[in-house]
Amino acid sequence: MSEVVQAPPKEKVKFLWNDKEIEAKPGSNLLKAALDNKIEVAHYCYHPGLSIAGVCRMCMVEQEGVPRPFPACNAVVTEGAKVRNDTAQIKAAVEWTLQLHLVNHPLDCPICDQAGECGLQEYYMKHGVYDSSMIDKKVHKDKVQDIGRNVMLDAERCILCSRCVRFTDEVTVTHEMGIVNRGDHAEITANESLKNYYAQNLVDICPVGALTSKDFRFKQRVWFLDDVETTCIGCETGCSVKVSFNQNDAYRVKPVFDAAVNGYWMCDDGRSIYKHVGRADRLATFMENKSGLFLPAIETEVMGTLKNKAKKFILSTFLTNQEYAQFFEAIKGQKVEVALYRLPQHKLEDGRDFDGLLRRADKNPNIKGAEAAFKKAGFDASDEGLNKLLGNLGNKDAAFIVMPEVVYNEDHLETLVKKVKPAGAKVALTSNESFYFMKDFDYLLPLPTFLEKEGTITNFKGMERKISRARNTWGASDKSVVTYANLMFGE
Amino acid sequence: MSIKADYENYTLLSYHHIPDVHRIDIFEAAGGYEMMKKWVGTDPDKIKEEVKNSGLRGRGGAGFPTGVKWGFFSKDRNAKKYLLCNADESEPGTFKDRYLVEVCPHILIEGMVISAWALGTQRGYIYIRGEYYHQAQVLEKAIKEAYAKGYLGKNILGSGLDFDLAVHRGAGAYICGEETGMISSLEGKKGQPKLKPPFPAIKGYRGLPTMVNNVESLAAVPWILRKGATAYKAWGTEKSPGMKLFSISGDVNKPGVIEVPLSIPLIDIIEKHCGGMKDGKKLKAVIPGGSSAPVLTAEEVMTTKMDYEDVAAKGSMLGSGAIIILDETRDMGAVLKWTLEFYHHESCGQCTPCREGTGWLEKILKRGEAGHGKPEDIKLLDTVAANMRGRTICALADAAAMPTQGMVKKFRKELEDYIVRG
Amino acid sequence: MSENFEFTKENLERYNELLTRYDDVESAILPVLHLAQEQHGWLPDFVLNKISSMMKVPVIKLKEVVSFYDMYYDHPTGRNIIQICTNITCSMYGSRDIHKALLQEYKTENMAPCDDGRLYFQKMECLGACSDAPCMRVNNDYYGKINLESAKKIIRVLR
Repeated sequence: MSEVVQAPPKEKVKFLWNDKEIEAKPGSNLLKAALDNKIEVAHYCYHPGLSIAGVCRMCMVEQEGVPRPFPACNAVVTEGAKVRNDTAQIKAAVEWTLQLHLVNHPLDCPICDQAGECGLQEYYMKHGVYDSSMIDKKVHKDKVQDIGRNVMLDAERCILCSRCVRFTDEVTVTHEMGIVNRGDHAEITANESLKNYYAQNLVDICPVGALTSKDFRFKQRVWFLDDVETTCIGCETGCSVKVSFNQNDAYRVKPVFDAAVNGYWMCDDGRSIYKHVGRADRLATFMENKSGLFLPAIETEVMGTLKNKAKKFILSTFLTNQEYAQFFEAIKGQKVEVALYRLPQHKLEDGRDFDGLLRRADKNPNIKGAEAAFKKAGFDASDEGLNKLLGNLGNKDAAFIVMPEVVYNEDHLETLVKKVKPAGAKVALTSNESFYFMKDFDYLLPLPTFLEKEGTITNFKGMERKISRARNTWGASDKSVVTYANLMFGE
Repeated sequence: MSIKADYENYTLLSYHHIPDVHRIDIFEAAGGYEMMKKWVGTDPDKIKEEVKNSGLRGRGGAGFPTGVKWGFFSKDRNAKKYLLCNADESEPGTFKDRYLVEVCPHILIEGMVISAWALGTQRGYIYIRGEYYHQAQVLEKAIKEAYAKGYLGKNILGSGLDFDLAVHRGAGAYICGEETGMISSLEGKKGQPKLKPPFPAIKGYRGLPTMVNNVESLAAVPWILRKGATAYKAWGTEKSPGMKLFSISGDVNKPGVIEVPLSIPLIDIIEKHCGGMKDGKKLKAVIPGGSSAPVLTAEEVMTTKMDYEDVAAKGSMLGSGAIIILDETRDMGAVLKWTLEFYHHESCGQCTPCREGTGWLEKILKRGEAGHGKPEDIKLLDTVAANMRGRTICALADAAAMPTQGMVKKFRKELEDYIVRG
Repeated sequence: MSENFEFTKENLERYNELLTRYDDVESAILPVLHLAQEQHGWLPDFVLNKISSMMKVPVIKLKEVVSFYDMYYDHPTGRNIIQICTNITCSMYGSRDIHKALLQEYKTENMAPCDDGRLYFQKMECLGACSDAPCMRVNNDYYGKINLESAKKIIRVLR
């Protein structure tokens, strides 16, 4: 046994950055410590979720006692260090390095989607370097390349920060991206079409407009967009995301850093979870099936008809914990059957349930919350429970199916819909009426989407995740499943 | 009758006068491998001490004392560690290592086995530039001979030293001469230099402690042990002790490789060792330490001593000891253009200031050559060069910037003529 | 041209021997590429794909390497590769003119196969033979102090 008693490691290291005192955990990256403390430090190649490249040379600092300037991204915090990046020498160095970044950059900001959130543009405007002092011909490279998975590559705009290469090497380990050639002929290239399911992150981490989203390209100027932070409902992982809006329309989903769940990333599937939200044919009012044609119906009449039937509810796994709780509260003491429809396991391409990163085969975003709520209220959330409910359906019954919002396997859902056929009234509560089998229902009742309500869901880890309202409710969709339950059983 | 080595007048070229000394029997008969037999198995610290005391400075170009560098190396003899010999030799003007190993490969192997013992490394590689195909074969053959004799492999000479050595050929990239670029290249990657820290002595090839030394540095070890650090230091100056190989090319009558004591007057190299200026022409300038060394004017040459400190005092550097002699007819603008073309071609492309700066510098010169130069281009050259220096992972940006600034400073008029002549 | 690449029996032995020299497979990438190029003349995608699957290294990493080094070729070369140094000393002694004249002579461009695939000219950086400037490297052999006539003579007898 060692007799040396080690002092407990220090909790915090204190150092000065341009005379401002900063605290950081021992061993923290110096640049990250500064950025986390809201200090602006120009940087392109550094990304907290990737290894250190140290190639853009923008985050240069001086430190008392260190003979030469060095990049902050390749240093760790040291107790008592006096770090500066506001000296004349460093400022000139950064300005010149910026100037050198622009030497072969096309400066085509007016037609670039990155404009407004481009690291290069941001700094050159700040430093007043609006054009390079180079009058010689620029090196030309391939400008419009579709590299697959919704990603477009413009090699001329690339500043060779290598983030995308490190991402496919280190995060997805799929090795599609590389930098070929030397010197100023060096060029980002995709060896083959992208094959990873996280490709949109490349667009996020590209500090310039070299990698853009084919989906988002030319759709919106980013300065018109507002973000709301919420949780992805694409699977049970529950990644923290932000959805960008212009007025009432959503345009894209990006990950929000969350150490406990998704780190800096999200999968490509999650990028399209908002697509049903802004559909022009979103259900706005109650609808009734009149010989295969859905026509607007009067709410009280519909409710009147349904009230007389025996009520059977099939809930989805897309409701918030609050909705489950309030729903069960609303039906307390009533004669009602409730079951849960869970989306089938959607195996990943290689047959796995989990890819080791974020994607999971269980596409039920709040399965944990639903199960807990059913248990608490004394209902059976299992498939047997569902089958039992389905097996007893008859003419006197009204079957209410709360439709899942994001469906990977419509056929499976259709099977469910077919099974409620014996019911006297078949009612879909839905925020998404794009399914081809909607004609099998007698009534359609609008629901809010996940972007139109507040609450929480419980992810695979049992963590409560926030669902935030981003958008005004659509038509009648301010009525939730709880509202309908109250209408059905209330006074 | 075997011919003996000349240890009195040479340290590195002591065997070079012996015919077929690439053969191990001839090398051994001349005195080769004696130091390996004497020192391997003895106290490693004594070897390191002797090398440190000799003051031997790394011969690759940076001139960092070899013994001090060895001092940074992991002392754990059981830990997996590597010894890498830098035979990439691609600094323009340099061809000394080629001459050293193609004639006498065993002097390097002997130096490496002793160094491996001193440093406790189990595997070594000689990274030789791809163009040196035949030299690589000479080394391969010599390594085979050494294995056959039991000088390489397991338990060398019963000392307990296990040391495997192989030749690794590069494939044409200047930057692989930079030690971390070389490590990347050996790892099967692009030869891009790595961020420091960590330094290779701590975390190098495959993330393990790696000692990288130049051919000339490693080959000097047997002599230093044979004659002692004091004898080595009898040559040169206090800060630049010992003997050095110089590669001389350009406008002299007898270009080639010479081994002379450091601090020899540069003019003596030209007049005495190289037979004076070719065709009786006048000296104009000298590039004293490879193409990255700023140029010296004829006037400066007269008083320059070829040691690290004196060449530095003249605003240049001794570098790899590659001396390029330029006579009165040479166009300094063209010399700079060729130099910049080289650095542009060789920039690895990682760091922005180097990637973009080397190309820009070359473009300015070429535009001038094409008749589109502007008077302000001279200042621009100087400014761009100044802003490439000290801002990158390795010294390639500096290697392009220094000769540019040197030329602007010392041959401004000529450069103006070249760029702005219209 | 066949889109399959297999090492010859002899080269497969050399391949296996090369792997024994290193503590990991990646370190053998440069020598294996040399070997493959020696056999095939250049390194098209199908050769790289084969090496990639043999060595279990991503093909993009091989492409990066091939594009990085001057002595690997991602395009057809010639049966004889003629490299002419154009660095300082060699340029002082006229190597650029020799290079240009040779390209004219064989009606070709730098780094393009010519003369029915017999020749391939490549402008090179310092070859490390400056005392013999101007210097030319033909396949693996060095020729020093060349002039246009002596260079042509050397080239003429190449097969």
